[in-house]
Amino acid sequence: MTVTPVAPHEPEPVVYARARKPGIRWATLFHRDESLGYILLAPGFIILALLMAYPFVYAVFLSFTSKRIGGPATFVGWENYTKLASTDLYWKTIWNSIYYTLVALVFKFVGGLGVAVMLNRPFVGQRLAKALLLLPWIIPTVFSTLIWWWLFDPAFSVINEVLVVKWKLLSKPIPFLTDGNTAMASLIMVNVWRGVPFFGISFLAAMQAVPDELLEAARVDGATPWRTFWSITFPLIVPVVGVVALISTIGTLGDFDLPFLLTRGGPNDATTMFAVTAYTLSLSSGLIGLGAAVSMTMFPLLAILVVVSLLQVRQRQGVS
Amino acid sequence: MAESTAIQLKRRQGLVAVVLRRLRGEVPFYLLLLLVSFLLLFPFYWGFITSLKFEKEIFDFTGNLLWVKNPSLANYQTLFKTPRFFIWLRNTMLVSTVTTVLSVIVSIMAGYSIARLKFRGVTAASVIVFVTYLAPKGLLFVPLAQILNDWNLLGGLPALMITYPTFLIPFCTWLLSGYFSNVPVEPEECAMIDGASRIGAIIRVTLPMAWPGILTAAIFSFTLSWNELLYSLAFVRGEENRLLTNGVMSAFARSDIYFWGPLMAASTLASVPVALLYFLFMDRFVGGITAGATKG
Repeated sequence: MTVTPVAPHEPEPVVYARARKPGIRWATLFHRDESLGYILLAPGFIILALLMAYPFVYAVFLSFTSKRIGGPATFVGWENYTKLASTDLYWKTIWNSIYYTLVALVFKFVGGLGVAVMLNRPFVGQRLAKALLLLPWIIPTVFSTLIWWWLFDPAFSVINEVLVVKWKLLSKPIPFLTDGNTAMASLIMVNVWRGVPFFGISFLAAMQAVPDELLEAARVDGATPWRTFWSITFPLIVPVVGVVALISTIGTLGDFDLPFLLTRGGPNDATTMFAVTAYTLSLSSGLIGLGAAVSMTMFPLLAILVVVSLLQVRQRQGVS
Repeated sequence: MAESTAIQLKRRQGLVAVVLRRLRGEVPFYLLLLLVSFLLLFPFYWGFITSLKFEKEIFDFTGNLLWVKNPSLANYQTLFKTPRFFIWLRNTMLVSTVTTVLSVIVSIMAGYSIARLKFRGVTAASVIVFVTYLAPKGLLFVPLAQILNDWNLLGGLPALMITYPTFLIPFCTWLLSGYFSNVPVEPEECAMIDGASRIGAIIRVTLPMAWPGILTAAIFSFTLSWNELLYSLAFVRGEENRLLTNGVMSAFARSDIYFWGPLMAASTLASVPVALLYFLFMDRFVGGITAGATKG
């Protein structure tokens, strides 16, 4: 690289030369950190303010009104919330969302850890294996969910064909999406299928950052691989594991694509969740106030999770 | 002579034995790897072979399930002959391209600002970016639909072009600020000492060094737009304005009749470019995810 040598006692000579010229003060504006910082942030933050902050405030407002599509927004206080609280749909929505999120999280966590441990050793084809195993996470959800829809077909599911007809493991086919309990289990299964690769690869990256000396020292001291994992590797990857789990939890809680595509919240609202209920109420039935109130119910939960993730991330940044 | 070849042979046999012994130890591992790969990849394979089958064979489970008896591209033809298929494809490309370009440019600015500049409120800005990144789409689509309606934008593609950046900008800004903080500062300073303006130095010196990050952000954005469902269902009206996702579903999944052949053909077609992009840039993808997981 060619660099013009500059005397060390002469900091930023050009700057001063430019700033002194009359009439181009804006050049300073685009030069100093204090002004350029805001100028560069402005476009993004204006978009976020208009299309995220404003809608958020608007959602809070709408949730206190009896707004319907095309109708006026009349203030009704807590009526939407009390009305919702008296319906089964509302409580099912809350319970389903939490259940779906937590159960899926446990499986993704354990599965991800398993995948990471499995891949965390040199073997022939490691690169290819890593690439292929990430596919469920990388392929657009809408299209992979369509495939699952076909795998869950009530009459022509290949999974049932194999389990019932070919291997005779089951006496009757599994009603994947037509029975309430199995529908929830099926949704969780697809969510786990999609999430395990993401958890696995993130955990793997964290594991590979664990210093070899530590593992070597443990080996020299006679620790079993099991003991080494839980006493050295796991504590060191916990921060990454925590952030991945939190981000995934937040995404799963607000999930729309999977429940909407596979079950539309059915059968009998057995798999309806925040986003799906809000969609059905506000956009299909036109009850915007009620739909907004359903979305807003999700907010306290999200807020807690977001604050925890923030603390986690900042703590990490402080350490490193 | 004969003796030495005998020794060589023995040695070679010894080597083979060692390799075999090693491989035998690896057998459980490779079996496990195979099982996990099968569980994770079977759906794609099933979707792909379904897309190659004629209607009759799709519902016929006799014989080898993992093979296609009469492979054909008929389903792909059906898909392409769908009256509005190419309009939906064009809409999807248009929306994805416009939102990606817009979001990446805006995020380069914001990401650079957060990573490299010192000013009051920079920490708050990075917190805001992180929080907006975490906000799920399910939280805000109801008021957004109302706001788009107020602005007379509900129903057409511009509704998507202005709302997709709400989930792309936080993500790209976050990703890019991570990249910018790892790009050395000195070349930019040297350029300024040589007489370049600050903006000139950023554009001509720093951005070229950050191009892998910018490319990653662009690929991610494009994929996320390509993949979007909720907003395109909620904010767009009319057959002409559909995107591939909801267009294909409306054409081949009517109330209770599903045309699995064309649906699987569409899934395969939509997945291949994403998978290819990802294979080409895999290390960046993995780096991007893990940067996402470990940085703020």
